[in-house]
Amino acid sequence: MSAGGAARGGGPGPGAAPMRLSPQPGEVIDRSAELSFRWNGRPYPAYQGDTIISALAAAGERVFSRSLKYHRPRGLLTACFHDPGCMVQVGDEPNVRGAHRLVSDGMTVSSQNTWPSLRLDAKGVNRLAGRFLTAGFYYKTFMRPRALWPAYEAVLRRFVNAGSVSPDTAPGRQEKRYAHPDVLVTGGGPAGMAAAVAAARAGASVLLVEEEHRLGGHLRWGGEADLAALGELAARVAAEPGIEVLTNAVTLGRYDGNWIAVLDRGAGDAGAAAERLVKARAKTLVVAPGLIERPYVFSGNDLPGVMLSTAVRRLISLYAVKPGERAVVLTANADGDAAVADLKRAGVEVAAVQDARLGGDVIAAHGRNGVRAVELADGTKISCDLLVTAAGWTAPTALLNAAGNRPVYCPRAARFLPDMASLPGDVLVTGGIAGDGGLAELTQHAAATGAEAARRAGRIRRARWLAGPAGTPRTAAAGHGAEPPPIPVPDLPVDPHPELFAARSNEGMVDFSEDVSATDLLSAVAEGYDSVELAKRYTTATMGPLQGKLETVNAVAIVAAATGRSIAETGTTTWRPPYAPVTLGALAGQAHEPVRYSPMQPWHEAHGAVPLLAGAWIRPDGYGDPAAEARNVRERVGIIDVTPIGKLDLRGPDVPRLLNLLYVNKWSKLGIGRVRYGVMCAEDGVVLDDGVTGRLGEEHYLMSTTSSGAATIWEWAENWLQTEHPDWRVHVTPVTTAYASMNVAGPRSRSLIERVTEGVDLSNEAFPYMHVRTGRIAGVDDCVLWRIGFTGELSYELHVPAGFGLHVWQTLLERGADLGAAPFGVEAQRILRLEKGHLIVGQDTDGLTKAFSAGLDWAIKLDKEDFAGQPELAWQLAGGVGERLVGVQPVDGSVLPAEASQIIDGGRIAGRITSSRMSPALGRSICLALVDARLAEPGTSLTIRLPSGQQVRALVTPHLAHVDPDGGRMRV
Amino acid sequence: MILLPCAWCGPRDAAEFHHVGEAVPRPDPRTATPAQWRAYLYLRANPCGWTVETWYHRMGCRRYVTIERHTETNEIRTATVAGAAGPAEAAG
Amino acid sequence: MQRSTNGHRPGRRRPGYPARYSAFALLRHGLTHQDWPPAWQPRPMKASYDVVVIGGGVHGLAAAYYLAANHGITDVAVLDKGYLGSGGSGRNTAILRSNYLTPEGVRFYDRSIKLYQRLAAELDFNVMFSQRGHLTLAHSDASLRTMRWRAEVNKIEGVSSEVIGPAEIKRLVPYLDVSAAARYPVLGALWHPPGGIIRHDAVVWGYARGAAALGVHLHQNTEVTGIDVAGGQVRGVRTSQGDIATRTVLNATAGWSTLISDMAGVALPIQTFPLQAAVTEPVRPFLGTVIVSGTLHVYVSQTDRGELVFGASVDPFTSYSMRGSLEFIEGLAGHVLELMPSLTKVRVLRQWAGLCDMTPDFSPVMGRTPVDGFLTDVGWGTYGFKAGPVSGEAMAECIATGRTPDIIAAFGLGRFADGTLVGEKGAAAVGH
Repeated sequence: MSAGGAARGGGPGPGAAPMRLSPQPGEVIDRSAELSFRWNGRPYPAYQGDTIISALAAAGERVFSRSLKYHRPRGLLTACFHDPGCMVQVGDEPNVRGAHRLVSDGMTVSSQNTWPSLRLDAKGVNRLAGRFLTAGFYYKTFMRPRALWPAYEAVLRRFVNAGSVSPDTAPGRQEKRYAHPDVLVTGGGPAGMAAAVAAARAGASVLLVEEEHRLGGHLRWGGEADLAALGELAARVAAEPGIEVLTNAVTLGRYDGNWIAVLDRGAGDAGAAAERLVKARAKTLVVAPGLIERPYVFSGNDLPGVMLSTAVRRLISLYAVKPGERAVVLTANADGDAAVADLKRAGVEVAAVQDARLGGDVIAAHGRNGVRAVELADGTKISCDLLVTAAGWTAPTALLNAAGNRPVYCPRAARFLPDMASLPGDVLVTGGIAGDGGLAELTQHAAATGAEAARRAGRIRRARWLAGPAGTPRTAAAGHGAEPPPIPVPDLPVDPHPELFAARSNEGMVDFSEDVSATDLLSAVAEGYDSVELAKRYTTATMGPLQGKLETVNAVAIVAAATGRSIAETGTTTWRPPYAPVTLGALAGQAHEPVRYSPMQPWHEAHGAVPLLAGAWIRPDGYGDPAAEARNVRERVGIIDVTPIGKLDLRGPDVPRLLNLLYVNKWSKLGIGRVRYGVMCAEDGVVLDDGVTGRLGEEHYLMSTTSSGAATIWEWAENWLQTEHPDWRVHVTPVTTAYASMNVAGPRSRSLIERVTEGVDLSNEAFPYMHVRTGRIAGVDDCVLWRIGFTGELSYELHVPAGFGLHVWQTLLERGADLGAAPFGVEAQRILRLEKGHLIVGQDTDGLTKAFSAGLDWAIKLDKEDFAGQPELAWQLAGGVGERLVGVQPVDGSVLPAEASQIIDGGRIAGRITSSRMSPALGRSICLALVDARLAEPGTSLTIRLPSGQQVRALVTPHLAHVDPDGGRMRV
Repeated sequence: MILLPCAWCGPRDAAEFHHVGEAVPRPDPRTATPAQWRAYLYLRANPCGWTVETWYHRMGCRRYVTIERHTETNEIRTATVAGAAGPAEAAG
Repeated sequence: MQRSTNGHRPGRRRPGYPARYSAFALLRHGLTHQDWPPAWQPRPMKASYDVVVIGGGVHGLAAAYYLAANHGITDVAVLDKGYLGSGGSGRNTAILRSNYLTPEGVRFYDRSIKLYQRLAAELDFNVMFSQRGHLTLAHSDASLRTMRWRAEVNKIEGVSSEVIGPAEIKRLVPYLDVSAAARYPVLGALWHPPGGIIRHDAVVWGYARGAAALGVHLHQNTEVTGIDVAGGQVRGVRTSQGDIATRTVLNATAGWSTLISDMAGVALPIQTFPLQAAVTEPVRPFLGTVIVSGTLHVYVSQTDRGELVFGASVDPFTSYSMRGSLEFIEGLAGHVLELMPSLTKVRVLRQWAGLCDMTPDFSPVMGRTPVDGFLTDVGWGTYGFKAGPVSGEAMAECIATGRTPDIIAAFGLGRFADGTLVGEKGAAAVGH
């Protein structure tokens, strides 16, 4: 790269950066580091520290995008993150804020929504149609013929002004961070810095968040004195170990309890993938975001070359870029005046200065692709290529709104101010948003605010850590001992400022991103959309990427004037989080969705198990042939991993009372070593869960629940014990994952169990069906053996201390090899249980199935003292059961109705198939169904409508069980 | 989320809890009419203001707490161990 | 010819709009720089009305419109404490569908879809109903079974729905991850072609304009502060802008429904929860259908402006706050990226919330109450906007004829005391 003259940037060839100025004090570019990047395919030079737009502006470019509807050329307006005309595509990342993103070497940047090129955009023809395409025009047309609406839509979609998303974008999410600062200061300008320093000196831990790449705020382009003050403040910040500074970070929102989301964007040139969410629970929040400069509304105000005073000052002072050659300035405040001085310093010819404080005004900007002339109120036209406005300031009160504060409009200052009297105790405000004054006054206010924020944070910290004895009433904000007195925060003056929103002509852009003009707003008001909310929704003003930061106040002023109300009466729209746009990747962070698996899962995977995701668990659905697995259980012996089954260890003298309350059946006389099947209902009588509970000792029971109900039923039991019966002596301990559980089922299961068990007499006389024992299995002590039978065969369910699960599993299979022992999966189990007519809660019952409908009549003991669901079940029995669960077999046994096929009777839906499988034992299809009670008699002919529309006949079976209805096979 | 003052654990993020709902007295199931029982099941005061409700500290001590909360501002006024005192006494 | 839902054929009135909307009219106004006349005029509030509708959202405005258009009852006032559509009607994610679980639900929402289909022509206002199809993803076999259940009931009721597999889903939405490597793999989906999205504000404005043209009075910024009941009969309504004598009041609010009903002494089985939503920056259109995932509690659609609109399930605790939460947007983002990982760089622009009145059976509370003259059209949970037209039509008929139309017979308040709840729990939870 050529060294270049001091006055010109380096880069490929002379004249590549004609608008670059000589080095400026306070410039952020590093002229020793030369970069190159591509814009719309052509190479451009840049320095380290340039933003994409500042580099392009230095090269003399002025048009960066085209507007949404009219495809008008757009250029630089604010030269900061929130600049509507500067959204560009970088690589595969759409909607990049080009005036904030730093250039990195080799970057590929392109304009969005322009064809064939930025200069010559074919959709620019919309400009001519402008008067017909007023805001809301689409509500008035495209209605007929209705069939053409999709075609109209397709056309509308082609005009979407945005970047594109590639389906190949690599997934990649940044981990999130938590922070617990005593004081979070949002805004790193002079007030923010002073507040942070004062808070840190008062002993608080501070997180200081600044949106731009460096601290300093407006001091950075304020001139020599400001730069010196900035240096001093920055040094004080750096000297405080208690302050963490985040730059290129923005506070997205403040939620209840000062739960604050901060977006850390990482390095200045980093793309979206570097975004990272920081979640802070701050004790106090200091809001010091400064003020946002507001555009002025007049005809041609969106032409490239119309800029705000802060934009030109940034360009000149930070990036050493000359904003234009010949300027007209409209100024209404000291910053506008300072901009005039800066322009002159940068060698820009200032052709005219219109002082709004003296009645000066600007009526229109003229030009096609950029400003060529400015028209004044008296009709004079001044030729120029740059029009600078300093029309006033908008307070970014988003965080205050979120904290419940309603800012008040001050006509004298021409802006909204926070309602200082009604701030919540944990939110403070300082800096330009709170008032005006010189640098000394503002930093003094900020220091007092920071110290007070630290004091309040201390008070909150003490209140939170005060431990009251559990069980006694306590208030959340208790405090003890002497507290430091509040630190007085002086008031800030509020300077007068002319109200400058829209020029007399009532033309011009209000929302640059949405192409909504003052005329559009006035039309909307005239049509009856006469509140600021209705006008906003009708015209879409403030609904673009800037979310109202530059648009809302002007829109409010125009609507107010049109409706003859004051701005205060008109009110404003609601700021909503996030304050700045944030990627889905940053919000999502790393995925934390753990999968639960049993100790035997590695064995399953090694042996070709087909995985089944059931809730948070992964289980084996089968090992290749579920029908064969089922047959093996019926004929020999199979083993299934049922670890996800919920297990609750219950101890205490009052356990039977709990069981009687939770289950519909009776539990007072369950002997030690015995097991009972139970069903639980909710208080509305709907079936909640089922399972077996066994008594292991005098005051020791073990309850099993469905796997999906494990956590729910534990909470259910705790709810009763803690809130209704705190006097009952019961301890509940969840042991779902403390045991690995496996079910050994089949005619040869006893033989297999005998080989591995010690300490238990396994004969049918000593250990009958529905009993439970403890003993040693495969050398492992404290195992629980249940004789229960979900599959309908002789079977033993083993609960083994989890660490030994895999050992026991493998031992069983090895020792049982000659018996034909083989694993079976969930699908085989489903077939087996269906052959036996065992219902699955949540499949054969639904959210409205009460217990009497589920074939559980035998279990429900209405004469018990209180149990959950009792009154409703009594009324269900008295009033007629409604629907019933029945066994069903299609007449043609080769037809397998899909589950959820509907049962039709007389043209009406009369039920549905809830479970359906081909039965290996019977060689035909078998089902369970919920049907209207009048169709539930055994032998009734049903009509099933298959998904194909075909209807088939089926018969209601005498029992729910299709195989061995008497259950003899389980009792051997 | 908001911080809830768990009676055992101190102030914890509400995401650790399961919101059970308004503390509604359970009628005597032996004597309640269907209308009274279903009022218990389904009717709620649903105020825009202070309410007494139960939360379960699912990802913490696994105890139930009875909390007085303002449903619009999410301010919390009192918190007690559920069942230790009836909700009405705790609020009083 | 509009046929009412139980065979009653009242007179039919078309609004006489001061200016009809059309492409030709746009052209004419553009050429002549003529202003459009107002869509509705502010009217002075009268001391009495035949019917007072509380709630100026889609339900209240539709009821007022159909009272006037279908039954010739025009002495109607619609009151809203804010601007028209400031409640749920302005905050929902504008998804329309009729793929419900119960036959009565399917019939009800299907009637609404049919009304929506011709609404633009009826109201002379483009509501932009885009019937681009609606996909409800299933990530477990239990969920797939429920989709099959819904599909079968839909088909029997004459509504187009079918269960499709991952390959077909991928064809419809190329950006969707249907691979088995996902944490919650997609096993299938319920594909519902008549579903789609609509411009929700336009529906509100269309009904408002139509009702106003037929003589209904719309009173914005008018808060109801009390309802006078004497002898078990409504006598009047007290508001921030004055009192109104009336014998018929319709509670068509959402979020505030129990507050209003308490004024009339009617208890409702409703709890109010915030429901949050979010929208992204516009990106070039790539998503042509609506996607819902019950397991992941998320739904996604893309507007014609290019913005992605997201929703999820209600907040986990009751509240009247519409301030939103960070957890919502974090969880939502995670689930959206589970479904479509390539959207990781798309930016969220705005999140907001509305209030949802949840009932125990995910179905509304419609019709008469124990207080004569006090009717409700409430309890709309997360599924109210899609039911606006059919609800307005049915409530208008209920008010005009004094009889409860069959189409809403299952949704009466009395079902809770009777224990005959509606079985929609499976379908309504997420997926609006």
